[in-house]
Amino acid sequence: MSRVVTVPEEMDHRGFEELLVLLDEAFEEGSDRILLNAKHVRWVSPYGLIGLLAVGRVILDRTGNAPSIEAPESKDVRSYWDFMGFWQAASGIFDVPSVPPRIFGPHDALLEITSIRSHRDVHSVVERVRERAASILEKRLHYPKPAVIQFSVMLSEVCQNIIEHSDADGWVCAQTYHYRERLGREVLMLAVMDVGVGFQGSLAAEHARRYGESWSSATALEAALLYGESRFRDPGRGQGLQAIRRQVDRWKGELAIRSGNAQIAMVPDWDDLPAMQRDLPWFPGAQILIVMPARDESEGR
Amino acid sequence: MTGQPGPLSPDVAVASLYQQYLVTRHTGRAVRLSIERLVGERSGPSLTVIDFHEVAVIDFSCADEVVARLVFDTLSRPAQGARHYFVLDGMEEAHMDPVSSALERRGLAVAARTAELRPVLLGQVEAEARSVWEALSRAGQAGAVDLAAIMDGDPAACARCLDRLDERRLVRGSGHVYASLFSFLASGDGGPEFESR
Repeated sequence: MSRVVTVPEEMDHRGFEELLVLLDEAFEEGSDRILLNAKHVRWVSPYGLIGLLAVGRVILDRTGNAPSIEAPESKDVRSYWDFMGFWQAASGIFDVPSVPPRIFGPHDALLEITSIRSHRDVHSVVERVRERAASILEKRLHYPKPAVIQFSVMLSEVCQNIIEHSDADGWVCAQTYHYRERLGREVLMLAVMDVGVGFQGSLAAEHARRYGESWSSATALEAALLYGESRFRDPGRGQGLQAIRRQVDRWKGELAIRSGNAQIAMVPDWDDLPAMQRDLPWFPGAQILIVMPARDESEGR
Repeated sequence: MTGQPGPLSPDVAVASLYQQYLVTRHTGRAVRLSIERLVGERSGPSLTVIDFHEVAVIDFSCADEVVARLVFDTLSRPAQGARHYFVLDGMEEAHMDPVSSALERRGLAVAARTAELRPVLLGQVEAEARSVWEALSRAGQAGAVDLAAIMDGDPAACARCLDRLDERRLVRGSGHVYASLFSFLASGDGGPEFESR
């Protein structure tokens, strides 16, 4: 059975949740040929962009058929997708008849869509973004110089989370833009996703018994983010997420981690994301969102 | 009290990291194994200086593998073997947070020196032990009685502290004499200022 699933017009982390509700309906109907209709997408964030890849991957894994995707009609959105390397990343996942040529040139992207498969990819990402991160963080977001190194460390840890815990490939993407409605300032948004075993699956062998019946996606996320638990008994493990949490908090940024059917978030006063959401549509792996706002003049350098 | 090498002197070697980006556990493991090989080649007491001057970025996972696991494994080895000590050299502000954090998670500490040659003790150390370590770093080498006199403290308590610091490989002791690890380095003068982590 075929089904068209409409991609929300604003494809950010909120749009991603809307899309998952529609995807659930399609799966419940038993659809095995799915077309993602992105014609009416007016805006897409890095989270939304790699979210589409993750959704495509899940459809492929579940139905055995590569989904189709209809490109946005908006010229701006389409060229942004081209520019971020969406079609190249999508070619093994979606049924893409012809991949448009990649566009290169000056741009606001800190990091185009990059697949993370091994530690070498993490090295490559960290080394590649350093110059661009320096320019964006210092000149546009007014962060002090050491923030470039701290951002590199955070990027490395968040990408390693895929390799160390998901048992699956993942993607990373980062972009600055003006967060007009919520903040009235520029932000840097970093999104990292995989469709692997997720936090509950990763931590289950070591921690599920202790939690008993309360063991869930939500408790697994709490264990990892709040208590630094890991799937390894080694006390040196599990510090990456804790370090990211501390750093994002220092920058008055936002950190949200979705896994399974839950999302945990460290929410600054400029946003209204719930600190914990349960009973979301189930989705494999982990989806991480980090938003770093430009510093106010009064915050100094 | 002296900063000159003497009978306490271990075999000193420098492990250069030759990498700008110390990221990922995989890389950290490879670096640690190469340092362990260097240490393993020496039969007597040794001091390995891990040179961070070239390192631009070290992440938490790599810091755990390179530094915390190295110290942990060294302390876990049987007591009868030769003692091996470590100093991290050329530490910048950006290195210290990941390294300290990794050490603290394992309840460990390591002696370090900033790029400006300032001694710092990274990781988890009690306040009293930290004061004794700082006093010995200033003195170079000293007995517990002399150091207690400088600190206006109790000699027996000072000796216990120094023994514990030696067990943790943060100072080197032999009989009644203790040496700051910096006293074995070419630029042993750590300067008067100390930084707590």
